[in-house]
Amino acid sequence: MPKVSVIIPTRNRCRLLRRAIQSAQLAGTDVQIVVVDVASEDETANVCASLASRGLIHYMRISRRLAPAPARNAGLLSCTAPYISFLDDDDIRLPGSLDKQLARLDSEPEAGMIYGKAFYGDEHGEPADDFYPENCPEGDLFWELMRWNFIPCSTVVFRRACLTRLGLLDDDIPGIEDWDLWVRIAELYPVISVAEPVAVWRRSNPSSEQFTSRSEELHLRARELHKDKWMRLPRALAASNDQRRKAKHEFASTAAQQLVWEAASNLKARRVAGFARVAFAGALMYPIGVSKKILSTRTLKSLLNGNHQ
Amino acid sequence: MPAVSLIITTFDRPHLIARAVESARRAGADVEVILVDDASSDSTAVVCANLQGIKYVRLDRNQGVAGARNIGLLESTADFIAFLDDDDLRLPGSLDHQLSLFESFPEAGFVAGGVMLGDQECVPTGKMALVHAERGDLFWKILQLNVHLIPSSVVVRKSCFQEVGLFNRRLAGIDDWDMWVRIAEQHPVLIDTAPVCIYRQPTHSSRQGSSSLAKHMRRACNHQPKLLALPRARTAPASQRRSIRKITKRRIADTLSWRAAEELPDGAFAFAAENVFTALRISPAWAIRPTHLRVFWRSLKNRKALNS
Repeated sequence: MPKVSVIIPTRNRCRLLRRAIQSAQLAGTDVQIVVVDVASEDETANVCASLASRGLIHYMRISRRLAPAPARNAGLLSCTAPYISFLDDDDIRLPGSLDKQLARLDSEPEAGMIYGKAFYGDEHGEPADDFYPENCPEGDLFWELMRWNFIPCSTVVFRRACLTRLGLLDDDIPGIEDWDLWVRIAELYPVISVAEPVAVWRRSNPSSEQFTSRSEELHLRARELHKDKWMRLPRALAASNDQRRKAKHEFASTAAQQLVWEAASNLKARRVAGFARVAFAGALMYPIGVSKKILSTRTLKSLLNGNHQ
Repeated sequence: MPAVSLIITTFDRPHLIARAVESARRAGADVEVILVDDASSDSTAVVCANLQGIKYVRLDRNQGVAGARNIGLLESTADFIAFLDDDDLRLPGSLDHQLSLFESFPEAGFVAGGVMLGDQECVPTGKMALVHAERGDLFWKILQLNVHLIPSSVVVRKSCFQEVGLFNRRLAGIDDWDMWVRIAEQHPVLIDTAPVCIYRQPTHSSRQGSSSLAKHMRRACNHQPKLLALPRARTAPASQRRSIRKITKRRIADTLSWRAAEELPDGAFAFAAENVFTALRISPAWAIRPTHLRVFWRSLKNRKALNS
């Protein structure tokens, strides 16, 4: 039986997919690769069929268009390993990284999941110099993760047993279903990390038509999720009023900060529509947080500098 | 590897679960029983832990029936999957019978069987839910709610889930209908009349999931346009899709009104009112016809006769 299953959902990205599969093969010694082809219309099916016939991947084709979350959930049906990792078709796993993470996870039976850093990649997936997140906290990350999602999806390995305790990915929240899963895992399990890059994460930009482009919608969804689901998890309910208030405040302030930076970067790139959308959404969702951030001198300065350049 | 995995989902019904599991064990010669406890807060966990020879999975966070079924699928090892609600019963040998149907019709995506209606104690009332045997392409019929399938009576080929995806958690109460439509879109289906399970008929007071009929019907009505956007439905001319929509709305209005009239003599006024309002909202012109009004009139007369 394989040790870890890597689930790669894909759609019409044959060239990138081949690179992702290769990287996953090199990332560990005992890897089962499950490719979930969501109704691709290019030659993905042929390429995958030939790989599958050589026993290199497990290929499943869903003939109807599904969002990433249900596609990943469907992929879980085919995987048999006790550890699971998601890899996006445009991301890359670094060689040996899965083995390293698995060894660490084996040595800490309490932990539910392990993550790591990811290099930012450009359009072609070539790693840039900087990576993300800067430091990798460990242990009980429930409150920290509820505040903001600092875990790149493709760097995570988690136990299959987590799913049978917590349920699958939520298919109601496109774009942030991974964040939701990390929060739910962190509620019950300690989280560990390796403080080194394990993957390359292709940074989305508004022109690349990746799913993550519409950030203000994600913020809106995250706000609802935080209020209606996370704050109602048993652990959040059992927490003291101070802790709850702090969690709400920190979430709002982090989100406001992100919205302001996103609006600023839109402005810098002279994308007026994008700026207006993000700014409007930010002002509606977090009026106090956003105005505080704008009025802080640091933001003003960098905004002005950006415009002068 | 077992021949068939039977997934029982349960939530807060410790008094019923042992009976369901026992019936599941006797339903087939080579059956893997997977019991998914959807984070019950009462003694269900204790009862389940004492049951022998089953795969018991306990969720710590409630996922709803659809989510629990998905977890059951994740744990299943057989090529065929059957579902059983914790308050329904499987009949002895029924799974073996349905597996033999698959042998006779290997292209089938799923096989449904006859359903005996039972009262609150699961004692058969002598009525059957499903009477017409059918085989072949039932996509349009299921889409129009023309065939009512009860999950406890269905055996599905597991590979179907790998083709169409898992149950949709958003559609609480109608997730099964959504699944049957998605499977029937791509596979022929076989419906057999031989009874395979006993269905505990919901009443307005039994607090079963299906008691909130109006809510589910409204949800089904709102979800249907998405199913009509499936590639196969799209190939149909727009006029056909419009007429499907109209027929479905009428059928929903009918179902709601009939059920309301049935329960009215027992004094289920809130239930009846909710049904009537929903029917009027979904298909006003249809729900206000004399036929519907006559049904209510008769049911109210019955009530008076009962009272006097």
